[in-house]
Amino acid sequence: MPVVTADLKACQGYANCVMAAPDYFDLDDDGNVVMIKREFPESERSRVTEAARSCPVSALTVSE
Amino acid sequence: MTDQSGVLNDVRQGMIPAHIYNDKELFDLEKERLFSRSWLFVAHESEVPQAGDYVVRHVLEDSFIISRDEKGEVRALFNMCLHRGMQVCRAEMGNASHFRCPYHGWSYRNDGRLIGLPFHEEAFGGEEGFKKKGQTLLPAPSLGVYNGLIFISLDPNAEPLEDFLGDFKFYLDYYTKQSAGGIELRGPQRWRIKANWKIGAENFAGDMYHTPQTHASVVEIGLFREPKAEKRKDGTTYWAGNGGGTTYKLPEGSLEDRLRYVGYPDDMIERMKGQWSQAQLDVIGQDGFMISAASLFPNMSFVHNWPRVEEDSDDVHPFISIRQWQPISENETEVLSWFAVDKNATDEYKELSYKAYLMCFGSGGMFEQDDVENWVSLTNTAAGSMARRLLLNGRMGLLEDGGNVVEPLTNEQYSGPGSTRVGYSEYNQRELLTRWADHLERPIEAAAQLKVGMTAVRKTSKSGSASSCVAAEAPIDEAAETVLLGA
Repeated sequence: MPVVTADLKACQGYANCVMAAPDYFDLDDDGNVVMIKREFPESERSRVTEAARSCPVSALTVSE
Repeated sequence: MTDQSGVLNDVRQGMIPAHIYNDKELFDLEKERLFSRSWLFVAHESEVPQAGDYVVRHVLEDSFIISRDEKGEVRALFNMCLHRGMQVCRAEMGNASHFRCPYHGWSYRNDGRLIGLPFHEEAFGGEEGFKKKGQTLLPAPSLGVYNGLIFISLDPNAEPLEDFLGDFKFYLDYYTKQSAGGIELRGPQRWRIKANWKIGAENFAGDMYHTPQTHASVVEIGLFREPKAEKRKDGTTYWAGNGGGTTYKLPEGSLEDRLRYVGYPDDMIERMKGQWSQAQLDVIGQDGFMISAASLFPNMSFVHNWPRVEEDSDDVHPFISIRQWQPISENETEVLSWFAVDKNATDEYKELSYKAYLMCFGSGGMFEQDDVENWVSLTNTAAGSMARRLLLNGRMGLLEDGGNVVEPLTNEQYSGPGSTRVGYSEYNQRELLTRWADHLERPIEAAAQLKVGMTAVRKTSKSGSASSCVAAEAPIDEAAETVLLGA
């Protein structure tokens, strides 16, 4: 199953991923990304990939 | 600033300088001294039922996000990013866990807390340069809730909402608490009219006198059996607390007969009997009066009518509408009009009631068209130099020596609170304009300013039956509170 991972050092708390896929991403009180789910089914690929691509500092990576 | 004391004194005598309905200087004073401190309706809790639901509403130019946070608490957050002042929410309604500023990407939780601040360390030097912890979107200075109606005030020292409402609560319950379930809203429809905001508020507060003339055509086509001149003058006007309204006289009969007469089905009547106080029931069942239009100072109004809806039936169907006269300028008003209905009513009732509302009020309603034609024309005429020579007589019901044409009903004659009279009068319009004059006369007090990133934001003080009290949570920099506005 494909997986999305976050680079916590890169995250700047823009919250673009939260806007795009709130069921996968959240922010903690310090403004760091929190992964709600890592694995996603094929049917969710375009939505999760779009959320990852929307990160201005490229903190999110989709891998197989 | 022009001395307005002459205008205010005239208004208190019931003599209305015609230009108050289109006067830039007075509008500026209304902004500074009335809308900056009065309680103002912004939304109903049923518009934001779930965590994350929000609507965006305005108090003049100030945009507020009315949101329900993840803990279920209703918030009113000034819709301006703490960084460069951009609107953080640009939709009119929706559901969101966060609001993210489109300008530089600062993000806030739906309770207003600043969460995401890109490059906080690199750009600001972290907490030492910008105190991110404890920062929130600026809350409305005061927030209160009654029967699910959410009000805010820009005055942090506003009296508690329930004190402000006072005895008007008795009448508010007829519109907004017909059962334990309360009301649910549809809308608002929102449109602009080229008329001064005070005219609608005054009309709904007590103008039974216009009904037989302005709305004659509605009676002629058989839509509505009530507004005939002879019937309307048998009703009452009442003023209680900071609001007042009008009633129709009902035919003889029991409480149940009279509620059925205006179209309520038996299941709703049973719930009303379980919900309302004996005095509230007696106004209908014993005294024989049914609430119609009303206004709460300064710019919220209500209407309850019972027109025929279906062509082939003589049945009438009651509806309730809540509305706000949102001032845009001295000669323009944005009308927000909601349909309100008892949450526990049947779907069939809700559907017919909604039809009744749309026929009568809302942007395409027949009563609405009749009224606005008058109000736009009046506003236009009030702009000129001749209007400044005219003191309109708003003293209906008063004799020249100050005596009353009709005395108020006694406690034996009438079960409700406030001052109530049968027949045409302008007591309620005078009550509204007297409060207007009281605000315009009184300079505003010093308001606190917040230095963003340097101090913590004070939390909104809360009042109202549905909310607990929240005291100031974080210390405020005293020096930041010394700047005077409008002094």
